[in-house]
Amino acid sequence: MTSQTVIQVRDVRRSFRSPKKEEGWKGTLGLLVSPKYESHEALKGVTFNIESGSFVGLIGANGAGKTTLLKILSGLIPPSSGDAQVLGFEPFKRPIEFRQSISLVMGQKAQLWWDLPAVDAFDLIRAIYEIPTKTYRDRLGILTDLMDVKKHLNTQIRRLSLGERMKMELIGALLHWPQVIFLDEPTIGLDVLAAHKLREFLRVFNQQEKATIILTSHNMDDIERLCSRILILRSGEMIYDGPPGKLTREGELMLRVRLMQTPTSEELQAVTGLSAKSIDLKTGESAGEENEDGSDLKSIYFHVKQDQVASSLQKLMSKYQVVDMGMEEQSLEKVIQRLYEDERG
Amino acid sequence: MAERSLKPSWLRWVWRVAALKNGFKDATAYRIEFLFEVLGAAVVPAAIQWVLWYALFKVGGMNEVAGMTYTDMVQYTLVSLLFSQVRGGDHDFELSELIRSGQLSNYLLRPVGVVEFIYIRGVAPKLFIASICLVIGMVLGLFFGFDPMRMFGAMIMALVGNIIHYQIGAALASTGFYWEEAYSVLMVKNMIVSLLSGELIPLNIFPESLQWIWKSTPFYLYVFGPVQYALGRWTHAEFFMQMGIASLWLVAGWLLVKISWGLGMRRYLSLGG
Repeated sequence: MTSQTVIQVRDVRRSFRSPKKEEGWKGTLGLLVSPKYESHEALKGVTFNIESGSFVGLIGANGAGKTTLLKILSGLIPPSSGDAQVLGFEPFKRPIEFRQSISLVMGQKAQLWWDLPAVDAFDLIRAIYEIPTKTYRDRLGILTDLMDVKKHLNTQIRRLSLGERMKMELIGALLHWPQVIFLDEPTIGLDVLAAHKLREFLRVFNQQEKATIILTSHNMDDIERLCSRILILRSGEMIYDGPPGKLTREGELMLRVRLMQTPTSEELQAVTGLSAKSIDLKTGESAGEENEDGSDLKSIYFHVKQDQVASSLQKLMSKYQVVDMGMEEQSLEKVIQRLYEDERG
Repeated sequence: MAERSLKPSWLRWVWRVAALKNGFKDATAYRIEFLFEVLGAAVVPAAIQWVLWYALFKVGGMNEVAGMTYTDMVQYTLVSLLFSQVRGGDHDFELSELIRSGQLSNYLLRPVGVVEFIYIRGVAPKLFIASICLVIGMVLGLFFGFDPMRMFGAMIMALVGNIIHYQIGAALASTGFYWEEAYSVLMVKNMIVSLLSGELIPLNIFPESLQWIWKSTPFYLYVFGPVQYALGRWTHAEFFMQMGIASLWLVAGWLLVKISWGLGMRRYLSLGG
């Protein structure tokens, strides 16, 4: 491990075994008498390093293995095979020093006590991490100001809105100023302003405190605005490791064309030789917007590789009258969406 | 960055005190619910016992049962109420639910022992109740002519019983790592405890040939043992011998928890997120 590497993952695999119940009474009895199990490989030999102070996005469709990977890195579950090291520790051994240095926030799991006001929970967290009182007050002030929840500190957690609860959860997870933070869908349920504030806080926290942050989110805004590097998991395999910009630059481009004619998707497939998936008649990013020239001609979007642009245009122009055309770089969301679609065949 | 404590775990008392305070606040968040829980748990078993003794002695005309008169039985019932309130709570059920739901993950990543943390939070209201019961017991002692210091010793025994009860519950809750659900196991344990702790009936009314059953468990240390000592039915020597036995159960319970949770954690899946 180099001096700056805080997370090292080598060929990590993880499988789960779960009972399988068939339908109806037969299935219920079968489960009682002779249960059948099925295995599922959630991670299939994942390898990567993360340097200190990085802000890394971990993305993938549901069931791709993101949360499993976070659970392994935070020490909740061991890998079936392979090796994971965080801050030089083997996470699953969970030594005290390791637990004092990390934090895991899962948007789906409440960490605070439902019937108590947040301030009581924070006071307990202060004691657990032995945070000096002045430091605790300073941090609580910073965090509550930033999240705009100071006025809710003495309200029972169960009486807060989902967004306010989530902010309190985050404060509880950050009060000990961890070196490595695992965030699993932290902006879930937050309104636009709250999500923006949270993102801004994470960005500042990452830059000022040099905290290493690994973020999973289905919100590509979170990823694009915060992460300098993304890891994409697909069915338990790492299919991309690099900056988000590279993915959008090297990925497919969107060729936007407006034609005088209104051909069908099948006709366009026949002319260009592109697949149906590559032709978007309705859902282009600016589809439905009024054209600048006031006409009602719809834009057609072709998802093509760089080297397919010229030939596709040539073929279209040989058959139709092209009124307008342009090139658009695909948004990260679109690229990821297409990766997920590829996964589902 | 985060503060790093180099103290050994057993020396880190700040979080333990904070967890006690936090647990008490949590238990008393709903005052009426808290009072009903305490009073309901006291009144119902006492009423059942009183009806039973009344039927046997006053209606049935018996003079003694296992060497105990009606007055002895009523005394037992009244004093047992004080210790029944201190007997272990439901925090072993909380552990089992944490395993099942995956919420255990929230505690595993904090730098504290999860089994101990849940216990300390859960025992906080019991300590409050124990101190009130101790005062009531001492006043009753003065009124009925018992030694108040015996009540103090008996309460210590009941509190040790509370720890043993939790240790057994925690070990049983760890079956949730294998079977996902440990609710029934814990329910059966509680039913057995109700009978063998002396909470429902004095254990010396068991037939002689069956006395070995309660003597071979630690459950009698929860209620029956403390009552016997408080009422002067055990000598000081017997009390200290029983406290020695309780210490052995504590060590056995600690080992049981250590092993069962050590093995169980390897199977933990952290489901639900």
